[in-house]
Amino acid sequence: MLLEQLINGITLGSIYAIIALGFTLVFGVLGIINMAHGEIFMVGAFVGVTTTGVLGWPLWLAFIAAIVVTSILGYLLERITLRPLRGKKGVSHLAPLISTIGVSILLENLSHHIFGAGNKPFNTSFSEIRINIGSITIYLVQIVIFVISILLMIGLTIWLSKTKAGKALRATADNLETASILGVDTKRIIILTVVIASAIGGIAGVLVGMAFNSVSPQMGLSMGLKGLAIIILGGMGNVKGAMVGGLILGLSETMLVAYGNSGYRDAIAFIMIIVILLLRPQGIFGSKVSQERR
Amino acid sequence: MVRRYLKKEGDRLLGEILNTYYLQIGSFILINIMLAISVYVPLSSGQLSLGSAGFMGVGAYTSALLTLHFDLPIVVGIIAGALVASILGVIVGIPALRLSGVYLAIATLGLGEVIRVIFVNWDSLTKGSVGLTGIPQLGREILEFARGLGFEPSMIGIKNNQFVFLSIFLVLLILVIAILWFVVRQQNSRVGRALSSINMDDRAAESMGINITYYKVVSFTQGAFFAGLAGALFAHVIGFISPADFAYHRAVEVLIFTVFGGSEVIVGSVFGAFFLTLMPEVLRFVSEFRYIIYGIILVLLMAIRPQGIIDTNLLKIFKFKRSKGGVR
Amino acid sequence: MKNINLIGGLLKMKGISRKIFSILSVAMLLLLAACGGNSTGSETKDNNGTSSTTDGVVSAKFGVISYLTGAGAAYGEAITNGLKLAQKDINALGEVNIELVIEDSAGKADQALNAAQKIMSDDSITAIIGPTLSTEFFAVAPEVDLNGIPIMGTSTTVDGIPEIGDYVFRNAVPESLAIPAAIKKAVERTGAKKVAMIYGNDDALTKGGFEVMERTVKEMGLEITTIETYQDGQSDYNAQLTKIKGTNPDLILASALYNEGAVIMDQARKMGIDVPFVGGNGFNSPQAIAIAGDAANGLIVATPYFGESEDAKIKKFNEDYEAEYGKKPDQFAAQAYDALFIYADALKRAGSTDREEFRESLAATKDLEGILGKFSFDEVGDVIMDVTVLEIKDGKFVEFE
Repeated sequence: MLLEQLINGITLGSIYAIIALGFTLVFGVLGIINMAHGEIFMVGAFVGVTTTGVLGWPLWLAFIAAIVVTSILGYLLERITLRPLRGKKGVSHLAPLISTIGVSILLENLSHHIFGAGNKPFNTSFSEIRINIGSITIYLVQIVIFVISILLMIGLTIWLSKTKAGKALRATADNLETASILGVDTKRIIILTVVIASAIGGIAGVLVGMAFNSVSPQMGLSMGLKGLAIIILGGMGNVKGAMVGGLILGLSETMLVAYGNSGYRDAIAFIMIIVILLLRPQGIFGSKVSQERR
Repeated sequence: MVRRYLKKEGDRLLGEILNTYYLQIGSFILINIMLAISVYVPLSSGQLSLGSAGFMGVGAYTSALLTLHFDLPIVVGIIAGALVASILGVIVGIPALRLSGVYLAIATLGLGEVIRVIFVNWDSLTKGSVGLTGIPQLGREILEFARGLGFEPSMIGIKNNQFVFLSIFLVLLILVIAILWFVVRQQNSRVGRALSSINMDDRAAESMGINITYYKVVSFTQGAFFAGLAGALFAHVIGFISPADFAYHRAVEVLIFTVFGGSEVIVGSVFGAFFLTLMPEVLRFVSEFRYIIYGIILVLLMAIRPQGIIDTNLLKIFKFKRSKGGVR
Repeated sequence: MKNINLIGGLLKMKGISRKIFSILSVAMLLLLAACGGNSTGSETKDNNGTSSTTDGVVSAKFGVISYLTGAGAAYGEAITNGLKLAQKDINALGEVNIELVIEDSAGKADQALNAAQKIMSDDSITAIIGPTLSTEFFAVAPEVDLNGIPIMGTSTTVDGIPEIGDYVFRNAVPESLAIPAAIKKAVERTGAKKVAMIYGNDDALTKGGFEVMERTVKEMGLEITTIETYQDGQSDYNAQLTKIKGTNPDLILASALYNEGAVIMDQARKMGIDVPFVGGNGFNSPQAIAIAGDAANGLIVATPYFGESEDAKIKKFNEDYEAEYGKKPDQFAAQAYDALFIYADALKRAGSTDREEFRESLAATKDLEGILGKFSFDEVGDVIMDVTVLEIKDGKFVEFE
């Protein structure tokens, strides 16, 4: 049983990690917590359900559709809610937070309207493929999720450190004004960041739908809050931290359920937030964050 | 003849005002004003607390349990609820000093959720998600009390339930006015100036000799107190509470009152709570799209006018601003 | 002139902001009076609804509080649809005429209270149906009961509902009736000795259902292998299910709403758990089959509403509902449909829309034939009716043999 629970934990953790990656990218570059990220993830899941279920498209196409839709959402998010706030002077640091909260309420209820409030089944033949080892069943989906999360992490890390665009992104994350003085097209970089983060969220959405066969408009909220917990644990703006943090959360939740009281599962994430913020606010991998960054 | 007309109109207006529907909404507006203030006060010292739902829940459950299980009078319960919430506020406020800005916001959000999960799981105490029923209701208790003194609502020509809700409304109104008086007085005093300077730049304030630890904890605790008070009142107005009443959605709602209404001035919180409590009722006919509209308003507002509707400039226009050392 | 009201006088000395506030508070009241204003005035005393009869047809208005927007709107929608369909059928019969005043509570207790106050301020409304959730009901019913207005829950299955007051009734089959019936039959047929339990602990309905399950299991002397919980918004139940699988139960008792329950069964089947599931009231819906497909086979529930029944009344109801709303009805819709018929019957017998008389005749309901069978109220206003134990087999609900 322990092995099975470990697999459960890793699968869950990988999904958390992928979502956290989106959060951490946006925070790293913009210094903003995008409270709507969870909802974007949810939209991705719904795109997956609708394309495979109603339209009958094959899975790979569903992924592409989800990526396209969530990227567009990300772009709109940046354009309409985040950019106007950047130019203004004397804007409190709350304004982007609140604006993204507004977007999250909007998206959640919009999808209630369009898709109805219940759970939608996500049936693809791919989700059925499994491998049996003794009494343990591993689904191909679970392996795929883990692999994708690793690939994303590695891919992002390489991209950030080796490519020109990636370096430009890191420069922007470090200091917006300096980067722009040095010739980085910060506007484009910011758009790129939000779009990539949203696309990652979309991918996560389809994966969750496939893995758990459950897609509902409410799924965004709890994922969003967990994602928050992870980036704090791992260090805001840190890609490796998102991955590690996600796995830690996924495994601890699973182990708590397996050996303890499943009722307190959600509390882990939040207790983690509090404890980390008090003991080591920069997270496991973060560097000491100066107080300027609010 | 004019006098008779006026009397008839007056009676009709009185009847309209004493309509329990309006009084009920009015009571909720007043409770929400309290909650908005509970966010505003820490905010004015630069601390954004998203834990108002948690403190509210603590106040509510404390008061509900005391009045249900130990038969204590409602007044005692409410005071106890507010006090327990403020003690929690002190306990949380001290470590919270190390955090600032968005970090503090998230930590307090986490706190609120932990509190809620405890309410859900500690069901020997709270009955979990099923909730506590039969909490003594403020208005009905007042009615019983008045009756005990030989007073009947029909004596002044109103129905029983009108009296019940009118008394709730008046109690809340008095409390809100008292709180506002207190907060405004504090703002224009030495304490307020200290808070304001901490808000602007806490290190500078510290170097000027202001004990920022003390003031920050004080304002955070006040926030917890007001939220706990609002929670206890909430329990005794509705008569039934469950952990779902004190979830993340509530904390966000309360935050939005202050932010939407105007985060720089206290009138902003009052206005925000007033307007946003009223809106779902007035917009009932488009109630399906209520939250969508809500979300859109938030986004637009932050893009166009992030300081909220009412700010210091607007007040200046109405010449209501009283300048006293640069504090609003 | 300056101190028109006492409060204003007090405030004058304390500062400008309070002046703004007092203006606001008075303005608020006047504003509400101006723009809300469809109350029929409160100078009228406790007069309950004008008795309007034309040609012997009693016309009445019933208020409905329903969960129309928000996360659980599917349930409120099913209920409201059932009511509207019943309204059509009842009015077509021509014996009484019913008008429905529908308000949205968004599943929140405070909004349900506001909706109730709004309905209650209209003296021409005879009785109320709803709200949808037990949590809302607990907030609203004491107030309504105090005002002497009959109120009935069609979906509130938690313990303690009709006991709230004399004017409070329920036609929803309570968990305390349905669950023991299902568990007993399941144990009879399968000879189960050990059960595992899983329930949603942050929802009043599923938690209430779980409490009934636990009670029944203890009374029956069954062994509980483990108790697991899940929370709202979770999609992944694998951790809990793996644990359950490890304890090898003969049956799994799941107090879940159909949305979550169907997913739980699906994930359970995927990991090789084959034992039957026993569910409560919230689990009973054709939507469970739609969501889980074959995984839903082996679910046992007790319900008054057997959708696949050969009964002519139920077939007609199903057809009409699907024709009108494009989807199959469920227990929520069926109970709401019968509820309005119960109200119509009581109205007919009372012969007037007076609230007191209506309440009397409602309480006297005995052996009324609805689509769900014979129906009566007991002395606290709770429902007396038969339940059928059903199983999902080969993708359909059938009677559990």
